[in-house]
Amino acid sequence: MSALSCTGDGGQRELQITAYLDGELDLAGVLDLERHLEECPRCAELLAAQRAMQQAIGAADLRFRPTLPQARRLRRTLGAPPAEPWWRQPQLRSIAALLLLAVGALAGWGAGRRWPAPAAPRTSASPQTQATPETPATPAIAEQVLASHLRAQLSGHPEDVVSTDRHTVKPWFAGHLDYSLPVIDLAAQGFPLRGGRLDYVGGRPVAALVYQAGNHLVSVLVWPAGRDAVPGSAAAASSSRGFKLRRWSQAGMTWWAVSDADSLDDLVRGLRAQLSQR
Amino acid sequence: MPATTIPFPLFRFKEAAAAREMPRDREEDRRRSRFEAVVLPHLDAAYNLARWLTRHDEEAEDVVQTACLRALRFFDGFQGGNARSWLLTIVRNTFYSWVAQHRERELDAPFDEEIHTVESAGGGPEAELLRRADAELLRQGFAALPLPFREVMVLREIEGLPYKEIAAIAGIPIGTVMSRLARARGHLQSYLIANGAAGGRS
Repeated sequence: MSALSCTGDGGQRELQITAYLDGELDLAGVLDLERHLEECPRCAELLAAQRAMQQAIGAADLRFRPTLPQARRLRRTLGAPPAEPWWRQPQLRSIAALLLLAVGALAGWGAGRRWPAPAAPRTSASPQTQATPETPATPAIAEQVLASHLRAQLSGHPEDVVSTDRHTVKPWFAGHLDYSLPVIDLAAQGFPLRGGRLDYVGGRPVAALVYQAGNHLVSVLVWPAGRDAVPGSAAAASSSRGFKLRRWSQAGMTWWAVSDADSLDDLVRGLRAQLSQR
Repeated sequence: MPATTIPFPLFRFKEAAAAREMPRDREEDRRRSRFEAVVLPHLDAAYNLARWLTRHDEEAEDVVQTACLRALRFFDGFQGGNARSWLLTIVRNTFYSWVAQHRERELDAPFDEEIHTVESAGGGPEAELLRRADAELLRQGFAALPLPFREVMVLREIEGLPYKEIAAIAGIPIGTVMSRLARARGHLQSYLIANGAAGGRS
């Protein structure tokens, strides 16, 4: 067959070609091989064939991913109570309880009798955010949103479904989530859709859309708005470890956008404009 | 349930009840959350490797699950460094002890270090044919590789790991990684040509 390196070299050329394809050949080896390729059509053909095969492998998605129930079970094995909400975590609960007590003592029994008024644990859990409309779960959720983005970026495969076509991404989510979400195309605004993935935030599976913003990735996490709905029209902004986070409620959903891209606000504006036209 | 709906004394009571159910001291909690931070980002890679080694969904889950428990047990010995390599090594070792129990024959399966040659498909350069190999055919081709070849190919071509890391995970010298990859590519190439061409794929 043609796909053999030249004979009589004890297979050394073939090994060289392998290392060359993998970027593991040292400079002297590269120079030697390239010189050889010019005069050896057999080796040149082998390299071309294997490079073509490598490209086909790269283009095909051969990665197996755990299904949603599998991922859930595996997380349980890790001992990670799957994304426990903050109020279920024993230490935070104790702190919240202590703060509640302190607030109660200060406010007197008049206020105390109104417990558990919905606002009480909020102020107790995050006294530093009292002035903002942030809900208590927000710092924890923000941390999880950022973790989702970082994890996706670090793993090198930020999408479970790779597609620039929102008509592919939307049905994919429909098959994996118990809610449907608007998938917005922002290619015209300079933010092409890359695909979507599933993640766990706040103890539930959520949709994450992945957009490209120049050299940066943007994760947009979406789930049905519930208690965490953000009143007001502006997107709440925060930042953590060099990443920017934006949060807002629209179309019955809670939206989180996270990225280190400078243009994150443009993307958020684009998303919101298109959502409001629907 | 949100704490907001639970009257305060009951809230404390339920907390105490929860604490009785699951006695965990703080040190253990910290260890667990450190463990999670180290392992969680690589869970997908762990599953992918286990799935390719076992070629079976549920068995892959079993292997990853056992591997995670082992990882937790060995976690105190983890010195930092490359967490992915560390976890994948455990997954691979777990797989081999699993396969020794369940599918011993697979380990005995001879694997041929020779390159299988097939007739060139003819009618146009081979590279063109290979470039058009689709995911389905590639998946079959990977699955058909003997274990020692399959594992290095998955680590190299799907996980994109450098030789050094593959060598550490598979417990073989870098030179062996290279020669196995060369053989594996020969096998795969033959498979794709034989099956792609024979199946009349375009």
